[in-house]
Amino acid sequence: MTILLDAANYVLILTLVALGLAIVFGLMNVINMAHGELMMIGAYVVVSARQADLPVWIGMAAAPLVVAALGMVIEELVVRRVYTRLLDTILATWGLSMILKQAIVLGFGPGSWSVPNPLPTLVTVFGEPYPLYRLFIMLVAVLALALTFALFFATDWGLTARSVIANRPMAACLGIDTRSLDRATFAYGAGLAGLAGAVMAPIVSLDPQFGAGFLVPAFLSILVGGLGSVAAPLAGATALGVTDTLVSAFHSPVWAQGVVFSVAIILIRVFPRGIAARGQRGV
Amino acid sequence: MKLSTSAKLRQATLARDRELSLGLVATAVLALLPALAPDWQLSELARYFSYMMLAASLAWVWGHCGLLCLGQAVFFGIGAYAMSVVSLAKLPMLPQLQSMWLGLLLAVALTGAFAWFLGLLFFSSARLGGAFFGIVTLAVAFIVERLAINWSFLGGLNGLMGVPAMRFGLNGGEEQFDGVIVYYVALLLTVALIGLLLRITRSEWGRVMTAVRNQPLRAEALGIDVAREKNRAFVLGAVIASVAGAFFVTQFNFASPPLIGFALSAEALIWVAVGGRTSVVAAALGALLVRLLEGWLTDQLGDYWLLALGSLFVVVVVALPRGVLGQWIAGRTALRQE
Repeated sequence: MTILLDAANYVLILTLVALGLAIVFGLMNVINMAHGELMMIGAYVVVSARQADLPVWIGMAAAPLVVAALGMVIEELVVRRVYTRLLDTILATWGLSMILKQAIVLGFGPGSWSVPNPLPTLVTVFGEPYPLYRLFIMLVAVLALALTFALFFATDWGLTARSVIANRPMAACLGIDTRSLDRATFAYGAGLAGLAGAVMAPIVSLDPQFGAGFLVPAFLSILVGGLGSVAAPLAGATALGVTDTLVSAFHSPVWAQGVVFSVAIILIRVFPRGIAARGQRGV
Repeated sequence: MKLSTSAKLRQATLARDRELSLGLVATAVLALLPALAPDWQLSELARYFSYMMLAASLAWVWGHCGLLCLGQAVFFGIGAYAMSVVSLAKLPMLPQLQSMWLGLLLAVALTGAFAWFLGLLFFSSARLGGAFFGIVTLAVAFIVERLAINWSFLGGLNGLMGVPAMRFGLNGGEEQFDGVIVYYVALLLTVALIGLLLRITRSEWGRVMTAVRNQPLRAEALGIDVAREKNRAFVLGAVIASVAGAFFVTQFNFASPPLIGFALSAEALIWVAVGGRTSVVAAALGALLVRLLEGWLTDQLGDYWLLALGSLFVVVVVALPRGVLGQWIAGRTALRQE
């Protein structure tokens, strides 16, 4: 049972990261290679809060906001200048990820940091002890996902955003301010990454490479899931996360990543539209 | 600015001439260098030549054929490892063979087969174009790097050490330590391979690949087998990267996982973007210039160097998509096109 919980844990975090990527890609046609670094910075916000003798919770609450603000700056300075060049968004944000990573190395050193677990107790789930904090992570992830879906499917803003996803020029003709929508979307996607990084901080040994380890799985989740809908990343992340956890548990963590990526590549080849696809959009 | 067709043609001819003369001037300067530079600098430069070949191969695949490969170093690394395994006489079942030539052959065969397999897998589906392909190659780079780290036959995390220098004998023989000779062999190889690529970009096949890059649908309609042509181009790029890797390891005497994965792939991408993705010559010189700059600036900037390099990369991608040298080749009037 613990394996299932671990798998659910990983799947939810991966979905959170992938969802940020998918929203930004879907809405703005920008592939954000710096997404992993945004996640990492979220985690370092928690570290900074610790250094300032603030409670971990404050750091976690601040992380999404700080990273969202950073996302807004990045959007203004770089991303909006390469909107129309899809492949160049990959390169420009890749450069950004280098800059962010190196900035963290300069600020916090290349070594690893640890954040004390704010909920160190074990609780009994299905008759087995399980860390309470991991349940908290799942709760946060589920809430954030629910909030995102509510935002996109139950608010006027979400309707506007979806109309831009469906047909940008038409939406702009109808008077929708796509510029400010883009800015807000990018910031929101960054905020999701920041949140994911912040809640992960207490259970990992945090170093500047932390984000890179999530970026590729998150991308593959989106590709495996398909680009048709906001829900697709969940399907992709489930496929990847479950494979990863199972291989780690029954074989060895060493091979998990290789197996997962290979499985993902095969899935992408077999289902180019994604396993959850009904949509018609291509790249 | 809108240009008339004849003006465009004139400009294209001018750009081709500029590219060629840039290549010739660079070759001449590099050929005269041994008269001036000390030996240690020559061996440093000879190593940079393999980076130039890697950059040129990426410019061909990405700039000319439109296949953004985020894992070009995979092929470089396979070449390096293949050469190391043979030179160190570690071939399973055939330990008596340690010829450099056999290593080269193995490098080319392995990468060619691997790239062909990847291409077969991905180019046959039109939906996996552009960005998809980039992400997938990135994942491939991660997998292959992981494999190299965990495979003890390849030395694991430590890699393979003590790889012999160049030996021209049919099966091993004397190691060649003379810096000047090695330098000229390296220069010859580099100029030959980049010249070959330059010729190919200007051949009929090169034009076919331009069509495939710009208008895949139209190319298909004209009877070009787009998937097959992409695959051939991809294999060519991979083989050249692999030769570069095989040569590199005879210089560096050491093959390790960083050569095969994410880090070097990213670096190669920066070289090509800064030099100019649309020209193999500009891309190769981009590699040389960035490496020289790095050697010079790491002393001055220390840890801030990577920050500066990242910023340079972002600025070039945003403001000068053709790259620094590529922009010069294309000419000023081309600045606002595309």
